[in-house]
Amino acid sequence: MSDEHDRQDGAGPLEIEVEGLRKSFGRRDVLKGVSFCVPRGGFLSIFGPNGAGKTTTLRVLATLLAASGGSVKVAGHDVREDPMPVRRAIGFISHNAMLYPDLTAQENLRFYADMYGVEDREARITELLERLELSARRYDVVRTYSKGMRQRLAIARAVLHRPRVLLLDEPHSGLDPRAVDILDGLLTEIRDEHTFVMVTHNIAKGLEWGTDLMIIEGGRIAYEHAAGVDHESFSAVYREHVHDGSVM
Amino acid sequence: MKKLVSAPALFIGAGAFLIVGLMLGFWWAPVDSSSMGFSQKIFYYHAPIAETSLVAFGVAFVAAIMYLRTQDLRWDRLGYVSIRLGLLFAILVMITGMIWGKASWGTWWAWEPRLTTFLLVCFLYAAYWVLRSVVDEEQRRATYAAVFAIIAFIDVPITWFATRLMPEGLHPAVITSGGTGMESSMFASFMISMVGMTLLLAALIRRDLQIETLKDQVTDLKTSLGG
Amino acid sequence: MSGWAQFKAIVRKDLIRELRTRDMLVSMILFVLLAMVIFHWAFTVKGQTDLTYFTGGMLWVTFIFAMLLGLNRSFAQEKDEHCLDGLLLCPVDRVTIFLAKTVGNLVFLLIIQAVAVPVFALFFIERSLIGDLPPFLVVLLLADIGICSLGTLLATISMNTRSRDLLLPILFLPLIVPLLVAATSATTLVFADGAGFGTVASRILFILGFDAVFLVAAWGTYDFAIGE
Repeated sequence: MSDEHDRQDGAGPLEIEVEGLRKSFGRRDVLKGVSFCVPRGGFLSIFGPNGAGKTTTLRVLATLLAASGGSVKVAGHDVREDPMPVRRAIGFISHNAMLYPDLTAQENLRFYADMYGVEDREARITELLERLELSARRYDVVRTYSKGMRQRLAIARAVLHRPRVLLLDEPHSGLDPRAVDILDGLLTEIRDEHTFVMVTHNIAKGLEWGTDLMIIEGGRIAYEHAAGVDHESFSAVYREHVHDGSVM
Repeated sequence: MKKLVSAPALFIGAGAFLIVGLMLGFWWAPVDSSSMGFSQKIFYYHAPIAETSLVAFGVAFVAAIMYLRTQDLRWDRLGYVSIRLGLLFAILVMITGMIWGKASWGTWWAWEPRLTTFLLVCFLYAAYWVLRSVVDEEQRRATYAAVFAIIAFIDVPITWFATRLMPEGLHPAVITSGGTGMESSMFASFMISMVGMTLLLAALIRRDLQIETLKDQVTDLKTSLGG
Repeated sequence: MSGWAQFKAIVRKDLIRELRTRDMLVSMILFVLLAMVIFHWAFTVKGQTDLTYFTGGMLWVTFIFAMLLGLNRSFAQEKDEHCLDGLLLCPVDRVTIFLAKTVGNLVFLLIIQAVAVPVFALFFIERSLIGDLPPFLVVLLLADIGICSLGTLLATISMNTRSRDLLLPILFLPLIVPLLVAATSATTLVFADGAGFGTVASRILFILGFDAVFLVAAWGTYDFAIGE
């Protein structure tokens, strides 16, 4: 996957290109040279033990973290040289909702819409709140929301500006079943024409969605495969590399 | 592996200038005709130390800018070595200043421009060290330290002007706009001491840099061996 | 999505947040009023001490310490909910964030001062101040700008360190001394002697210079202060 810059199935141009990505925090080397690509419309599922560098990779892609070495391009722009167009093109969903608890859903979304320059702001907010079944709580402050509701609102925040690339950091964790359904429904809806990178401990979800699979271990890629691997064989490989308790 | 101690030439040069300057100051230049008398001679120490500490902070200022541009930790090392020395010199300025003050005005302390400025300078750069001590991660620590070193250095001349907004103090102005106010022999001794002190700073920075580099190399080795 | 629209969005967001909860504002106002009362007791030596020439000092020391409390609060929130990440993900110039935060803090400081100054005049100043307001207000606004811009820059740094709350005063106070000196002496001259613009002009210019220099410095370094 890292060598093929023209995929045989005609998946098209590359939306994400990572070459020799290194990241150190002081003397601790968290990423030791990671290279991979994701074509437009692709869905990369990243697995790995805790501390392997998965979230770090995602944060570098999101321009939240500066790499110590290597090159990273998202949506055709280098994340270090040209971060603005990258930021416009990505949406980030993590287990931190990144919502202001003392503001209402309406105010939170309005704020982000203004920051991203979303033109049809009110219509878009209404549409998303309906889709995520939060319309009834539109004018309530987020502090009063349950965790599942906050996650749903966070999804709205992330897709508000219609980003081409979605970065997901364990999006299913901590969600109630209804929220999981809503999230999956939304992902299905926007699946085409969007590119995804998802870090997850949930093998079932990772396999269900991913067109490409990757295991990161100790700051390096330990395993990568285009999808089409069945659950059992992947679980075996997974157990080999990941020793902590993950959802099978 | 480079030699541990910097080229002895720098230290010898510094020593030579300082000793000559001191000897000239004490035996050749005349005793000051103003009320201060013999105690004025501390000036041959005091002013060069003051100037040198500011030079050290200036070096740190430049190093900070370079670090922010290049992200190279070596600039950070130069920065904190310079500031450490600058702070040491600044404390010496205060001490020699207080001694001079006691000898010529009879009090250990006076809220006048120079002493006050250096007092604040000491606080400023002490804050730099506190900042460094509460950030664990190397790059971030260097970044924050660099930002503060830049802001702090800009504040030094501003503080200097501010202290002059207060009523004039007892400190005699040495270099006035009319001239140096010193006889030529005093001036020569003074300049020689000045050069000597600056050379001393350069020698110390160089030596400290090498020591710190070695320290970092040892830590790196320990990490890779010990895991 | 111009910088101006984003600037307004951030300022609006911070104002709504604070006005809704009011914790920070109320605490800061209470703090300032309490400080004034304490000053009276702290400085009264025998019977009725005349504090006329202490007015500038008391006022500005109080405001500066109140700001230190407020700055910590406003950034702590941003950090705790990881909202700062959300903000940094947006395609916004880091300098825009700096300016918006500074202006937000400035608004809070002005609100507090609007309450504190009349009370202060009531406690400590015998004569009518109406005629002296113009020079005082100019000094007030300019000094506020310096305090808020420097404070915002330093709070951004200190909130990311281990000892958040304790670090900010240590970094801030030595740097703000020149501003404090100018503002204090200008204010005292106005309140105690009824000085006009002419007398305090040099101090006003100094504060203006201070503001300009540090705004430029913060502009240049904020990117580094807020990034990771």
